[in-house]
Amino acid sequence: MILSLLIFLPLVGSLIIALLPDNQHVPYKWIALGVAIAELLLSTVAYVQFNQAQIGYQLLEQTDWITLSMGNLGIASIDYLVGVDGISLPLVVLSAIVLLAGVVSSWSIDDRPRAYFSLYLLLTGTIMGCFVALDFFLFFLFFEFMLLPMYFLIGLWGGPRREYASIKFFLYTLFGSVLILLVMIGLYLSVMDPVSTAVVAGLVTEPALADGDIIRIIQAQLADFRLNPAQIVHTFDLRYMADGANYLPNSFLSLTGETTALGMPSRMLAFWAVFIGFAIKLPVVPFHTWLPDAHVEAPTPVSVVLAGVLLKIGGYGFLRIAWGLFPDGGAEYARVLAGLGTLSIVYGGLNALAQNDLKKMIAYSSVSHMGFVLLGVASLTAEGINGAIYQMVSHGILSAMLFLIAGVIYDRTHDRRIDSYRGLLQPMPRYATLTAVAFFGSLGLPGFSGFVGELFTLMGSFQSLWLPGWITAVAVLGIVLAAAYLLWTLQRMFFGPTWTRHDDQIVLTDLTAREKLLLVPLGLLALVLGLFPNLIFNLSSATVAQWLARFSVE
Amino acid sequence: MPTNLLVTLQFLTSLILILPFAGFIGLLGVGRQVAKIGAVSLTGTGLVLSIWLAMQAPTTPVSLWVNWATLSGSAFSVSFRLDSLAMLMLVLVHVVALLVQIYSISYLHNEPKLSRYFAYLQLFVGAMLGIVLAGNLIVLYAFWELVGLASYLLIGFWSYKPEASRAATKAFLMNRIGDAGFLIGILLTYRFFNTTELSTLTIATGTTSLPTLAGLCLFMGCVGKSAQFPLLTWLPDAMEGPTPVSALLHAATMVAAGIFLLARIHPLLSPAALLVVAIVGTITTLWGGYSALFQNDIKKVLAFSTVSQLGLMVAGMGTGNVSGALFHLLTHAFFKAGLFLSAGAVIHAVHTQDMRQMGGLRKTLPVTFIIYISCTAALAGLPFFSGFLSKEAILSGAFFWAGHQSSGLAYLLPCLLLLSSGLTALYMARQLQLVFAGNYRHNDRPVANLHEPDALMRIPMLLLAVLSIAFWFSFNPFSAHESWFFQVFPVVAINLHGPLWLAPASIALVVLGGWMGFRKTEAWLMTPDSFWVRLSAEYGFLDQFYSWLIIKPLQNLENSFVYQVEQQVVDKAVRAVGIGTVILAHIVYSIDRLVVDGIINGGVWLAGRVGQLTRLVQNGRVQSYVSAAVVGLLLLLWWLL
Repeated sequence: MILSLLIFLPLVGSLIIALLPDNQHVPYKWIALGVAIAELLLSTVAYVQFNQAQIGYQLLEQTDWITLSMGNLGIASIDYLVGVDGISLPLVVLSAIVLLAGVVSSWSIDDRPRAYFSLYLLLTGTIMGCFVALDFFLFFLFFEFMLLPMYFLIGLWGGPRREYASIKFFLYTLFGSVLILLVMIGLYLSVMDPVSTAVVAGLVTEPALADGDIIRIIQAQLADFRLNPAQIVHTFDLRYMADGANYLPNSFLSLTGETTALGMPSRMLAFWAVFIGFAIKLPVVPFHTWLPDAHVEAPTPVSVVLAGVLLKIGGYGFLRIAWGLFPDGGAEYARVLAGLGTLSIVYGGLNALAQNDLKKMIAYSSVSHMGFVLLGVASLTAEGINGAIYQMVSHGILSAMLFLIAGVIYDRTHDRRIDSYRGLLQPMPRYATLTAVAFFGSLGLPGFSGFVGELFTLMGSFQSLWLPGWITAVAVLGIVLAAAYLLWTLQRMFFGPTWTRHDDQIVLTDLTAREKLLLVPLGLLALVLGLFPNLIFNLSSATVAQWLARFSVE
Repeated sequence: MPTNLLVTLQFLTSLILILPFAGFIGLLGVGRQVAKIGAVSLTGTGLVLSIWLAMQAPTTPVSLWVNWATLSGSAFSVSFRLDSLAMLMLVLVHVVALLVQIYSISYLHNEPKLSRYFAYLQLFVGAMLGIVLAGNLIVLYAFWELVGLASYLLIGFWSYKPEASRAATKAFLMNRIGDAGFLIGILLTYRFFNTTELSTLTIATGTTSLPTLAGLCLFMGCVGKSAQFPLLTWLPDAMEGPTPVSALLHAATMVAAGIFLLARIHPLLSPAALLVVAIVGTITTLWGGYSALFQNDIKKVLAFSTVSQLGLMVAGMGTGNVSGALFHLLTHAFFKAGLFLSAGAVIHAVHTQDMRQMGGLRKTLPVTFIIYISCTAALAGLPFFSGFLSKEAILSGAFFWAGHQSSGLAYLLPCLLLLSSGLTALYMARQLQLVFAGNYRHNDRPVANLHEPDALMRIPMLLLAVLSIAFWFSFNPFSAHESWFFQVFPVVAINLHGPLWLAPASIALVVLGGWMGFRKTEAWLMTPDSFWVRLSAEYGFLDQFYSWLIIKPLQNLENSFVYQVEQQVVDKAVRAVGIGTVILAHIVYSIDRLVVDGIINGGVWLAGRVGQLTRLVQNGRVQSYVSAAVVGLLLLLWWLL
């Protein structure tokens, strides 16, 4: 019930706002705020209800949605299936936090507020749906639907080059979606739902009776070609897709891997297809060039949500789908994948160093920091995967903070160039202090969350049996680069004698109460997570241990 | 150990660590008076507790830990460890920090952000205490980075000065380079031993040491923090911070951390790694000593002398003489803090740091002069002063080490170290000559305005000067190995009975250096601008090298190679794909319009004509059948083809 509420409350809110009369006296933003607060409460309830010691998905809700007989091709079944585990729950809570921050920072939006907040809530619902959907079809639906509000939010409320940026964002992601879609169909044709198949095959009378033994029997029958193809119930259920015993022998993506496509085993091809699909989202160099443009043009709250939450769907997709369904691919290409992670870290860092636009600098720093996620996942160690999940949460909070900080100065002068400012410490001491907190948190100062994420991903990749040490050693350069671009920016913008390009007209006022209300809790959250990393590791470690079991068989 | 005592020790250890951090948070927003009193009393309490702990002298290390991060299969704790080395450092850090803070009250009496200053000092002290007490390498690294943060805040304390903020950034970044190596080293240690707990590591290394490269990665941390070659140029720039900060940073809370780290990880280092450590230390000693020679800033001379002395300590560690190096760390902390505080008193009086504008201050600042003389004597290593003992300890150890190496070349290292002590005497003699001898040369500040520091400044200086006398460390001022220090920290696998000629030789070298340094003031002032002078004044052109290697390319960032690649290659490729798709779409659309649609239109047209023809014969309805049939046929054809 909680998870469905998480999805549908914002969707209903979006609809209500859309149906309300377009009138400037209607408090759209208060509705959005109410929904966002409710989302945070709901996710907190989910966090509390979640049993940390239990392995597997929890808070499950399942309803048959579409069931269709397709003759010899078997039976199609699409379920409304949602649930969370230690990988998705931290991201759900993170999303609720960042989306609430996004609403608060949208407070001064007065251009077409009805459409804006309606789209914003639509985005909220689809994001939540993405993280809790356990049916691939449902996941894909949310994944695609998310693009729509995002496209309009950038394209209608963005900066001067918003059309270019929004189209670029849309096409890039859509390209990734096509790859994911193809693999989804391939998987669908290759995977059986053992429970429903047992019912159809007459082994049990109703699904509830299909226990572990029955499932083993039906899986054995499947492996020995004893099942009538017309009786096999195909499924989009990610839980069944993750179990190798449910793959039809001789199917396109069967585990034996004799099918090839484009000169490589089809499973490997499928792995690369979903990898690229999610790598665009993360983003991984060289699939990242939509990100700086989208960020520069997006309004502040949209940047906050984009960096804080949307990128994490890439990392989540890695764990749940790319590596989760194709562990053989993750193991086979561990070196290349970790290499791409290291490339992102160093390349993103160097590019961040080259920027004069504050938002672009932060955007490239995101590329660099999300590289740690890929490196951690590719390491296939408990430290690396837990670190990657942690890094996603940490980056979600810190990047939200960074984009809010960029928004503060942009609100005052409509100028984000770093070299337009010097010595902001004197007129804006609180702003300078919170910027310093966010910057030091981002560059991995111990005590803040950034340190923990980097420490554990790096530790995991050094521990990894799949990776050579030099890949990690090069990645450590990223922490030097982060210190360089962040402290250099701090020095250029905040220290020295006060000077701006806009002396005469604009008064540089310090943070408003609303800005403080946004930045201070986020900073404290980064601190609390940094001091008590078990807040996240307690959620993730059991799930990750089970997740990793698949790789130790290799 | 009785449980009660253990619990008390654990409690006090955590209290010592918590006090300065509480001070950091608590003092940020308070008034000036509260900040002064609060800071001094916090550090004073810490000192009393540390001394009490040291007097208990628990034989086994006291450890305490809390669980920090638990993953399936591995757990990481925040652990602390109180052993004799930690207790020595606790006392040392607290003594220096307390004296520096008392001194600061008077020195910075005009500073508007005084409470912030004291808060940062507390953070600095707390971070250093964390390093000292850390029970595993990850905790040590965490506090290590906090020391970096505190030094950043304090070096850049006067952030309105562009040089100060630049120096702060430089210090943090250069340290970060070392720290990156250090982090790699820690992670490799974890990979090899599956733990970073110091207590477990020392046992584990009884049989195996870390691979040389991993050990050198750990050493990188020391290279950054303790300003070893080649990461030494941040230290002279760090002089932009307030002078008491320099005293603290050079004596107890920052550069000492690298030496302390080496003492902690010494058992992990392989013989090859130690050789590299010894060589780096020796190079640093000479580099720092030579660079100090022709500096004109009073604090920069001292800064490079720190570099040089740190090199000596690192070389001591490299030659296996952990206790000797720690002994020098201890004695150096007192006399170097004394020198910096005295230099602060001089600057306070004459309002300049340029030694060319000083001179003759022995008459106007006699107390400062005497304190300066005694600390200088300790630094130069004159007998009866503490520096003599600790230098002898390092040099004897180094000669012993060289005697046990396979190659005779090994004697080069101790000989160079010996030479550097002559160099120390030379540049310190030059400094004394320029500052205190001759006539006063500052035109803008009349002699009448010069005054001795007040009691709050003078007492810490005096205490440090007293602590630079050999008597406190050994009853026999000529024999280092009789010091109590080596009772507490016995030397391992080495002995400190150096060759008989060593003490006379080093005294002779110091006297020679001093004699060369005490030339006429005018001679030093008239130094010609030769290559060798510039080599010293620009500290071996190391910064110019970095500027050419890193800073210059950065200044032209928009044209930087990587961003060019990003703009010209990656993004262009993406756009090319996009534009290509659009062009392809237009081509397909043309085909669609001209060919496919043309065929259909043609077919419809044909059908129409046929219909018209048939209408001539039949009634109207047939034409639709025919045209439908034709279209159907065409579709079929298109499908089949």
